[in-house]
Amino acid sequence: MIFETCSEIRDHFSEYVDGVCAAEAIHSIRYHLSHCVPCTSELERYEALRTELRCLSRQQVSSDLALRLRVQVSQELHRNIFQRVLVHLENFFRPVLFPSVAGSLLALICIALMLGSEAPQASSVPDIPFVTPPRVQVLPSVNLDAGAQPLVLVTYVNAQGRVTSYKIISGQQTLGVIQQLDQMMYYSLFQPATSFGQPTSGQVVLSFRTITVRG
Amino acid sequence: MDTIRSIGVAIDQTAPVISDEAALVAELKGGSEEAFAYLLAIYQNPLFNLISHMVAEQGEAADVLQNVLLKILRGIRQFNGRSSLKTWIYRIAVHEASNHRRSWRRRLLHEPFSMDDDTLHLSVKSPIYKGGRETPYSVYEKAECQAEVKRALTDLAEPYRAVVVLREIEGLSYDEIAEVLGVAEGTVKSRLRRGREILKRRLAARLSRST
Repeated sequence: MIFETCSEIRDHFSEYVDGVCAAEAIHSIRYHLSHCVPCTSELERYEALRTELRCLSRQQVSSDLALRLRVQVSQELHRNIFQRVLVHLENFFRPVLFPSVAGSLLALICIALMLGSEAPQASSVPDIPFVTPPRVQVLPSVNLDAGAQPLVLVTYVNAQGRVTSYKIISGQQTLGVIQQLDQMMYYSLFQPATSFGQPTSGQVVLSFRTITVRG
Repeated sequence: MDTIRSIGVAIDQTAPVISDEAALVAELKGGSEEAFAYLLAIYQNPLFNLISHMVAEQGEAADVLQNVLLKILRGIRQFNGRSSLKTWIYRIAVHEASNHRRSWRRRLLHEPFSMDDDTLHLSVKSPIYKGGRETPYSVYEKAECQAEVKRALTDLAEPYRAVVVLREIEGLSYDEIAEVLGVAEGTVKSRLRRGREILKRRLAARLSRST
């Protein structure tokens, strides 16, 4: 391909500057440029135009727009109503989940600490009951012949722990039994009843039963 | 045609590099959010730059980019791999920007406007003086120069502007531009030649000073 006029040459400058001309055309253009000043100036203007265009500042996506694009992608990919609800719920709960759980735990810990400090301290001194009944301390062993029926009696104990009287509620009331009971009560010793820690008189119910041991 | 192409290196350092386009397309068709994040990391800035040079109003490039992204998201299932993913995405962007520019012109013709309306003129960002070797004057001169070139580019008729932007600013090859615009390679060459001629005439004074 051989160009003969400047016009023909200039028609191929666009491809020439892009380097897409055929080898023959490139040789022909170079030969022409070696002796044609106007065409050389024209080519320089082509080159200058390319430089100006390539020096145009490149527009960058702002961070705000980049975020909007990401949100748009996410929304478009979750167009399904169920998925969108899930995403909304996740977006709603994720930020509040940790603070709410942490807050609840902290509140529970605070309440537990407050309740712990409000609770009364355990006293080292044992509690004194308001009233205690008399208790048997010493009961002499007497071979009491009460018969088949159990013998139940109410015993009246004074503040010193001694029996002042007694009354048989059920069982045999024979003379022998009464003598044996008198003897037993005379030698018996009770821990007296107490009222607000002070010894006082009281009653105690005693029950006797005959136990037969074979052998 | 070989459908597996290399699509380059990720611009965003945090995005994993997916060198196999077929794998990326499969991920995109599967609705992978990570794949779309990767796609955004690679293409959001080039597309925004392309659209900014294509639309008449700088401020509307963001809206157009969002529309482009929406079309990519909705149309990826129809992508058949006959062209590369890059040219397919650029084709959507160029068409969307062209449509937007046409509708903007229609709106402009039918809407009353004030002579004091600043939005009718190209907005030039105030130059920022960063010190160093540049003087405030040189920074301002450079900004003025860029504004003049941008104005000339914006005033260029639609078919020429698309070709010039794709070639000179985005650095696409002739066959890629032909694929994006859906025209023959010869048409790309003639449009590029014609576009450059027009620009050269409009910027004659500046180019004379440069050479």
